[in-house]
Formats: sequence, C-alpha cells, structure tokens
Amino acid sequence: MTFELFNRTFFIATDVLLAYIALIGTGLGVLYLVNRANKWSVIKDYVTTTHHRKIGVLYLLSATLFFLRAGIEALIIRTQLAVPENDFWVFQGDKFNEAFTTHGTIMIFFVAMPLLIGLMNVAVPLQIGAQDMAFPYMNALSFWLFLAGAILVNMSFFMTASPNAGWTAYAPLSTAEFTPEAGNDYYIFGLQVSGVGTILAAINMIVTIVRHRAPGMKMTRMPLFAWSTLVTAFLILIAFPVLTIALYILMFDRLFGTSFFSGEAGSPIYWQHLFWIFGHPEVYIIVIPAFGIFSDVISTFSKKRVFGYTSMVVAIVIIGLLGFMVWVHHMFTVGLGPVVNTVFAITTMLIAVPTGIKIFNWLFTMRKGVIHLGTPMLFAAGFIPTFVIGGVTGVMLAVAAADFQFHDTYFVVAHFHYTMVGGTVLGAFAGIYYWFPKMFGFKLKDGLGKAHFWLFLIGFHITFFPQHFAGLNGMPRRVYTYTAEDNIFIFNFISTIGAFMMGIGTLFFVWNIYKSFKNPDRCGNDPWNGRTLEWSVPSPAPEHPFDPMPQVTTIDPLWEAKRNRGGKLPVANTSRSAPIDVTSWQPVGFSGLIMLFSLSFIYHVTWLQIVLGIMVLAFFALRTLTDEHTKMAREGEDHDNI
Amino acid sequence: MTTYKSDRFGDKQLGFALYLIGELIMFATLFATYFLFTPSAINPTPSETFELRTVVITSICLLSSSATIHYAEKAFEKGKEKGVWIGLISTLILATAFMGFEIHEFYKYASEGYTLTENLFLSSFYILVGLHAAHVLFGIGWMALLCYHYPRIPNAIYGQKQKIFTYYWHFVDVIWVFIITFVYGPYLF
Repeated sequence: MTFELFNRTFFIATDVLLAYIALIGTGLGVLYLVNRANKWSVIKDYVTTTHHRKIGVLYLLSATLFFLRAGIEALIIRTQLAVPENDFWVFQGDKFNEAFTTHGTIMIFFVAMPLLIGLMNVAVPLQIGAQDMAFPYMNALSFWLFLAGAILVNMSFFMTASPNAGWTAYAPLSTAEFTPEAGNDYYIFGLQVSGVGTILAAINMIVTIVRHRAPGMKMTRMPLFAWSTLVTAFLILIAFPVLTIALYILMFDRLFGTSFFSGEAGSPIYWQHLFWIFGHPEVYIIVIPAFGIFSDVISTFSKKRVFGYTSMVVAIVIIGLLGFMVWVHHMFTVGLGPVVNTVFAITTMLIAVPTGIKIFNWLFTMRKGVIHLGTPMLFAAGFIPTFVIGGVTGVMLAVAAADFQFHDTYFVVAHFHYTMVGGTVLGAFAGIYYWFPKMFGFKLKDGLGKAHFWLFLIGFHITFFPQHFAGLNGMPRRVYTYTAEDNIFIFNFISTIGAFMMGIGTLFFVWNIYKSFKNPDRCGNDPWNGRTLEWSVPSPAPEHPFDPMPQVTTIDPLWEAKRNRGGKLPVANTSRSAPIDVTSWQPVGFSGLIMLFSLSFIYHVTWLQIVLGIMVLAFFALRTLTDEHTKMAREGEDHDNI
Repeated sequence: MTTYKSDRFGDKQLGFALYLIGELIMFATLFATYFLFTPSAINPTPSETFELRTVVITSICLLSSSATIHYAEKAFEKGKEKGVWIGLISTLILATAFMGFEIHEFYKYASEGYTLTENLFLSSFYILVGLHAAHVLFGIGWMALLCYHYPRIPNAIYGQKQKIFTYYWHFVDVIWVFIITFVYGPYLF
C-alpha cells in the first residue's frame, strides 16, 4: 500500500499497517482499562518486584502474548498453504520466509522457554522449601533481559525487517551477503540478550536447588519438577554459551566484515555444528521441565507416589547427557560420512530408552490410582500418546539412511511439532492449570479448561498428523506453495482446518483466564489435594512462605503429613537465612538500556554505541554501589552499635 | 561473621563459579574456532604475525597480577589494611600495563596490515584475544570500584566482594595461559 506524505510517496505493506493499528489499538485499550481500574500500583509492583512468584507470572504473561503472536503467524502460514498455488494476502516469497522464521524463533525462545522458566519460578522454590530464588535481584534481571530480547525480535516486524533465514539462521543465507537487511541482526541481538537472561536464570535455579532446600529435603526427596529443573538448568548452562559464541561470530560476519561462515575460506557447516551443539540440548531444555510437570501432575491426580522415582531421575539425567551427543542427526545429509552418521544415529536412538522408561513409569503411576480427571490431568493424559507418536517418528528420523528421504520435509515438521507441542505446550498448559491457584489464589474454570483441552488436542492431531503424509509425499518444509499435481492438497487442507481449531482452543484459554479473574472461585491453599510442599503454603504464595520452616522426612512430605500427622508438617529446628527481596527499577532500566544498545548495533550508529556502551558499564558500578547486601550489613552494624 | 551472612555468601560463590563455567564454555568455543581456521590458506601466517617480545611482556604483567591479587586476599584474611591496598593497587597497575601492551600489539598488527578481515586466522585471533582483553578491561573497572568500596563499606562485605573478584581474575589469567599455550605458543616457541 502506498500513500503520499510531504510530497513523498511512502510504501507500507498492509500486514504491517494492520499490525500497527492492532498494536496501538490494543495498547491504548489496555492503558485505558488499567487507568480506569486504577491498577497502576499493581503494574509498578510487578515491574519493580524481585519476588519469584510475581516474576514467574511475568514470564507466563509475556509468553502467552508471544504465543498469540506466533500463533497468528502459524494460522497465516496454514492459510497460505491451504490450497494449491494460493495467493493469500502478502504472504508469498520472502514474506512467507519471514513468517515461518519468526514463528519458529518466537515459539522456541519466547514462548516455550519463558512458559517453562515461568512455571519453575512459581513452583520450584515452593516445592523445595526455599523462601525465594537464591538471587532475587538477578531473577528480575533475567526476566527483563529475556523480555528485552523478545521485544527486539518482535519489533523487527514493525520495522519491516523480520529475520528471514529460518529459526536456525543457516549460513551463508544468514550472512550479510545474502540477507543484508536488518532482519537477521534483530535475530542475533534478540537471541543474544535473552540468552544472557536465560543463562543467569539457570545459575539462579541451580543455586536455589542446591543450597536452598528445606531441612531434610534431600536431593533424593525432591519433587520431579525440581529435579527436571536442575537438569535443565545444567543443560542451559552448558548449551547456551555455545549459542552466545555462535551469535557472536555471526555478528562479526554480518557487522564487521569477517567471513567465518561464508566465502572461500569460511565454513557454513561450522555454523550448523555450533548451532546444533546448542540446538539439540535446547530441545531437551524445553521438554525435560514438561516431563517434570507431568510427573507431579500425574502423581497428584492419581493419588499415588510417582512410580519408579529413582529411575525417573536417572532417566532425565541420561536424557540430558545424551542430549549433547546427538546434534549431528540434524546434519545427516551434510555429508560427514557414514561412520559419523552411524555413531550419531545410535546415540539418538538410545534416547528412546530413558524416554520409554519415563512413559512406562507414568502409566504405572496411573495404574490402580484413584484418578481424578481435572484439567491438568487431562493435559497430562493427552500428552502421553501424543508424545509417543513424536518419539516414534523421532526414531524413524534417527535412521540416517532413511533420513535422506525425510530430511527437510513436512515429516520433520510433523515430528517436532508432536514433541514440542505434544510435550512442551501441553506440559506448560498442564502446569498453568495446576499452579494457577498458587499464583493467584483461585482456579481456572474447569469447564472452559476442558473445552480448551479437547479443541486444542484434537485440533493439534488434525493439524499435524496429515503433515507426516505430506512429508512422505515429498512436500519440503518452508515452501510457500505447491501445485495440485504434487498430491499433497488434501493433507494441507485438513491441516489448515486443524490449525484453526487449535487457534479456537487457545482463545478458550485466554477467555478462561479472563472469566476466572472476573469471578474467581477462591479455592484455598490446597485445591488438588496435593502431595508436595507448595500446597502447604498460602495461595497466592506470600513472601517468606515457610514460617515456620518444615522438616522434610520423606518424598511427598505433605501427603505423608496428611496421612499420619493430621496435615501438620513437622517443624525444623534450624533453617538457613532467606535471600534478600528488594524492589528496584534497576533491572527493567538495565534491560531498556541493553535494548537500545542492541538497536544502535542493528542500525550501525557508532556514536550511540559508544555512549550506550559506557552507560551499560556504568550500570554495573551503580549496581555494586547500591547492592542490598551492603545495605543490610550496614544496618546490621548500626544495630550492633546500639 | 554470623552464619546467615556466610549462607548468602556461599550462594554467591556457587553462583559465580557456575557463571565461570559458562564463560569457560564460551572461550572453549572460541578456541575451537581458532584451531579450525588457523593457519589460513591465505597469508599472513601466525608465525609472521606474532611477535615474541610483546607476548612475553603482556604475559609477565598478567600472570604476576594473579600473584598480587592473591597477596591482597591473604592480607585481607590477616586483617592487614596496608597489604590489601598494596595488592589491589599493584594488580590494577599490572592489569593496566597489560591492556596498554595489548592495545599496542593490536595497533602494531593493524598498522602492518594484519587486520580483522585480512584472513580467518586473524579474525579468529582477534575475536578470541579481543574478548579476553575485554574481560581484563572489565576487571580494571571492577578493581577501581573495589578501591572505592574498601574504605567505605563494612569490612566483611568488602572481603566477599574482593573474593568474588579474585575468582574472576584468576579465571581471566587461566584463559591467558591457554591463549599463550594454544594461540601464540605453537608459532613462537
């Protein structure tokens, strides 16, 4: 669309224009509503908080918003692919490339990750008897850095420069020679900034779990969600630095004229190695926490201790370790040779063993249990067959020889959506329905939750099951159209119908949140007849929830207390000092600064880079000059003097 | 020192150690990049680029600064205020000298035409050694802040801050040892 302004002709794509109108409209609407309800103090409270529950809520809220955005992109993709040689709106060619790139990038980094990290923030400290995360201030910083990165990637669309080289940003396509627009710079800086936030979050999780458990809460008594969080945090700590450096090198290629990943001497394959050494652990990073959620949900809703606790722990640890030894299965067709392919095919298949153990353990946990099919349990039950299908196609893809046929087809697309949606997204929904009372003090509506579940799950299978066949019929991924003779129309058409069903299911979820806030069913501290410590504290979880500190003597301590002690947990004699909660504008300010700093690189404004760089460094000085430990020690000294 | 303080300091120690593991992996990836692209098909080669004299001088500065910060650490434990100042200031001076020589080295290479984009050996050299230099620079700022803190904040808290810094500084030093061994070493000795 073109228009005249100041005697110059401007061009703006209609999709961008519409997005601006929608964004500004919603923004003004939200401002108006906040103002009318006089909720500015709540906003301020959340922006400056360092409390783990509130930060968890912030993660979940932003993840839901990005889920809607990337979900709309999915619907656009499906609409464009609904019929052969379609011409939907503007989404052909490069626009389509941008749509699937941001869909993938946002779904992985700004939906799956924050959904899980958000749930970890809400639940893990409460599950292990910690008063808060070990470093509350750094926790806030992690969130705001994540959000800064997410906003960078999301704003690229509004600057008509979306990343367009796929979520894997394969070189040399992602180098400046082939994609000189700012799009992939947004990708680099967005992921870099949020990646730093994620690494800090992982450090925080590890320290919390290692050092902040309640007395008697041995590692071998921890709930499985806490265990999966610990393993995930280690995976993040080891995998994300590789991404950091991969992006760092790509940044030099794009901005400073080096040619690591392209040109005569450069090596595009090296990018693939770096990306997948990070990328494969990444997919376990986003599925292992979901395993943890399902373990807790299934155990609670079957009124049974989880079956094979030790083997569950061993299985996630093994999956975590093997996760680092399989990255080449994304590169079977690169030509690294039969020996390399065979080794990586075998390690990949090996992962099916611990995963299978987990599946059987979940089934045995349900066996002879008193099963209550609440919404969280429905998601868990829906997960098991769905994920098994994803696992089976995973083993098929692991067969290197066969992968030459499957590679880069819709078969792969179907496979990873079965694992990512079937595992991560269903897991996150289960977790949200399960812990929602702990966040706000009331449940989400069960009826709407069930409608959400059935629409989403059935829609999911209608969407992705036919894609296996489209892939086997030879439909490559990332194409924006196909012909009637390709013999894949019917699969694509069915798939599109299913996608809209998922979309409607998600609207039910959003509607459910709205309705539940509108007229909340207050449900007390323990709505699910829970087994673990988080259900022993008030809902919503207060600051310093464990007062007095419980003494843990067994797995499922609350359940044991209900059975043998009339619901009263034994009280511990000693407990360690709690982390120091503060309220501070610094984390959000720093993230804003980092965001501007990134933009100055994306748009090559040298003087701004220098000014903002100095300000970023100055922030570290500000932090150390105002830190809460020093303040507290000072107060302690004054106290001693009195 | 009461236990509640050491609880929280233990958190910091573990947290920072984990952070350094992350950093170690970042540097390991950059070392791998260097091995992969060095020597390049096109000149210059490492042997004609590197100059033994500056490497020796920078190494003496940085490696001995690990000893001086250790001296500050020991002096703090013994409660010798003067020793802390001596250790801290001499570390600061050595680090600044290192930065000076490093900048001189880079400047010299660049003026000889050995720039970042000349070939992939030089690219991977600069992004690795440059990142290390950025760490040293950050450390200099950190030390300046420690100097500012020392007379002003409670002694126990200062000790914690200094201790975390020593971890960082020793880490930066260890990376330098790897750089001497794997980046310069094979082409100089």
